[in-house]
Amino acid sequence: MLNILVLGLGQCGNRILDAMNREAFGRGGTFAKYYTRQKFPASVKTIAINTAINDLKGLVDTRAKDRLHVPHLHGVGANRTIGKRVFEENKEIIMSEIDKRGTFDLIFIMTSAAGGSGSSFAPLLVRELKETYKNAPIICITVLPFREEGSIFLQNAAFCLKDIIDEKPAGVLLVDNQYLKKYAGDIKSAYDKINNTTARRLLFLIEALNSEMLMVTDLGDLKTVMNGGIGIGTMGFYEASKDSTIKSAILGSFKPSGLLFPTNVYKEGARAMLIIKGDKKYLDLDLITKTIEELSTEVGQVFKGVLIQRGRPRVLSLFTLNSVPELEKLYAIAAEAIRFEKENRDKSKSQLDSAFSHIEDLEPIY
Amino acid sequence: MNGRRILIVVAAVALLILVLPMTAAGEEVTTNVTIGVNEYVALNNDIYIEVLDVGIDMGGSAQVHFYSYQDSVGTEKTLYMGDVPTEYTSGSGMTIEVTLDSVFSNGASFVIESSKKLYVTERHAGEVETEAVTVPKLTIMRTIDPNEAEIGQTVKVTLTIKNTGNGTAIDIELTEGTIAKTYKDGCPSTIDDIAAGATERIEYDLKLGGDAQPGTREMPPSVLNYRGEFGDSYSTQSQSSILEIIAETVLLPELTISIDPIDYVVTCGDKVPMVVTITNVGNATSEKVYVKGDLPPGVRLKGGELEPVYESIKPDKSEEYEVTLVANEEGKHVVEMKVMWADEEVTAVFEFRAEKSGLEKYYVYIIAAIPILLILLWIIKRRREYSY
Repeated sequence: MLNILVLGLGQCGNRILDAMNREAFGRGGTFAKYYTRQKFPASVKTIAINTAINDLKGLVDTRAKDRLHVPHLHGVGANRTIGKRVFEENKEIIMSEIDKRGTFDLIFIMTSAAGGSGSSFAPLLVRELKETYKNAPIICITVLPFREEGSIFLQNAAFCLKDIIDEKPAGVLLVDNQYLKKYAGDIKSAYDKINNTTARRLLFLIEALNSEMLMVTDLGDLKTVMNGGIGIGTMGFYEASKDSTIKSAILGSFKPSGLLFPTNVYKEGARAMLIIKGDKKYLDLDLITKTIEELSTEVGQVFKGVLIQRGRPRVLSLFTLNSVPELEKLYAIAAEAIRFEKENRDKSKSQLDSAFSHIEDLEPIY
Repeated sequence: MNGRRILIVVAAVALLILVLPMTAAGEEVTTNVTIGVNEYVALNNDIYIEVLDVGIDMGGSAQVHFYSYQDSVGTEKTLYMGDVPTEYTSGSGMTIEVTLDSVFSNGASFVIESSKKLYVTERHAGEVETEAVTVPKLTIMRTIDPNEAEIGQTVKVTLTIKNTGNGTAIDIELTEGTIAKTYKDGCPSTIDDIAAGATERIEYDLKLGGDAQPGTREMPPSVLNYRGEFGDSYSTQSQSSILEIIAETVLLPELTISIDPIDYVVTCGDKVPMVVTITNVGNATSEKVYVKGDLPPGVRLKGGELEPVYESIKPDKSEEYEVTLVANEEGKHVVEMKVMWADEEVTAVFEFRAEKSGLEKYYVYIIAAIPILLILLWIIKRRREYSY
């Protein structure tokens, strides 16, 4: 059984983690935690880490002992510089808490790239974890902000993602709030659905990695996929309708509507992993194999895993990309926002200096 | 010459001494006169008092004939002792008041009063006998000792007869009162003469017959009939007496059994103390006393000996023992305890009501509440587990 560590950093990471914990209760709903235990498909240890205690208190399905408050007032105020300093001051506490949960074969770090605690902790934590758990691949689930959230969040996202890539984790899977806003009309519902979707896909992946499969894919394959391209990827998902074929289900998981980050998989995909679950009657292995072979010519190496499970076919696709045009857009916006912010600041400073100049040679007279 | 003068003075003084008392005597208005039967006296040569007869009836009487020179016929009157004075006025107008003082066998003595000085100027016949008439007077007092006695016992009856008169009581007959079913032993029916002032004491035994009725009984008065020396008859009687007749004591043991009461309601499973007391209220020792206990269903003996045996219990003595019972079932429980001796037995009961304990009443609820509580605790635990 795989030992997997899932860390949720900052408010966003905490909530995705909480959604994972809720999903692990099965279909019990709100009260499931009162009468049942979480059932992860592997040996999963979760820790929600945050400097804002109110964010930790807001979690519902994460056990108290799995919530780690890094003491710094009530958050770092989206200031990554402070966040990094707080991490350095408390990394023993954080690592000690992680260490209590044993050794791991795979580590997921979930964080928003735009916030304060998560975006500043994630790169540093990758570094620390790589040193401590040398054999465990670290995959960062990085959530990108709405573009209109503000210049601080945009520049945080830009620098956070760069810092993470610089620390060379096993891979980065992007989740773009801006792209997924389509899930719901209001922001809160959108957040909830994004969190739940991300959580379900991760659990889907974990279950597949830890199960006996008809066609096998495993942690080694995952590492290979994540090494593909620029090490940045995303996940897609498709649940077949009644009359769908397995092929249409597989291709459906490549469609932009099922992706967590906007990309043209066929054009930008480097490597992929497909995990197919469903009733045996739907799983035509020949058709699956043939379909994947066809995809490999376009997407590159495609690893596949087939898991017999009740229900209609569900397909999770995980890609790494050779290029990420959407990121370029993001960075362009972020750079523009930074420049705009800088100009405004300079202008304000200039105005203030000008105002002060009126009394430069004067002294108060009483 | 001087001697003659002295003699004359002495003579004059002596004469004066003689004359003064005579003058004083002439002013007396009351005098006593004793006159024999068929004799008379003349007072102040005017009034004649003649005693015609005397009698002893009504305490003594005298028939008297008063007359005077100018009232030769006069008047005859009967005077009684203790009566008011009898007045007589002579023909010359002299008035006397005469009271009979005492009566003798052949005469009487009178007290005469008048406004004038009285002189017995004539007396016919000579001596009058001064011996008084004698009258016996008996009193009788009866005592019974003891005045409480059991059937079969004998009590002593004492009669004290006293002659308070001045004559001897003769021919004395005693009629003693009787209580049914009692028997006199030594009670005389006649008594010897009792002289004036003498006291006679008579004792006899009164035996209470076996068939006498117990209770308070009145013994009628003792009656004495007697006569005086002159043949006159008298009668007197004592007060009635009270005799308490007590039923004959039979020596038998008699046992009672009592059980100290307790708070009527006890709790099932609790110890219930039962204190049994056996008392010999009879007047004889009871040998071999057996106690039997009958425990109802649902009650068991927790401690102590329920059915002890006593070799003997003396009169007025008690034996007490305590056992501990436990009621297993709710409801009213009656424990019957029986004490047996000789061919007798008496029973006492010990009642109490057992109820389920307060907790037991709520067992159903508690049992129902336990899982709820556990679930609640579990929920709280889980909530705390997931609260931060």
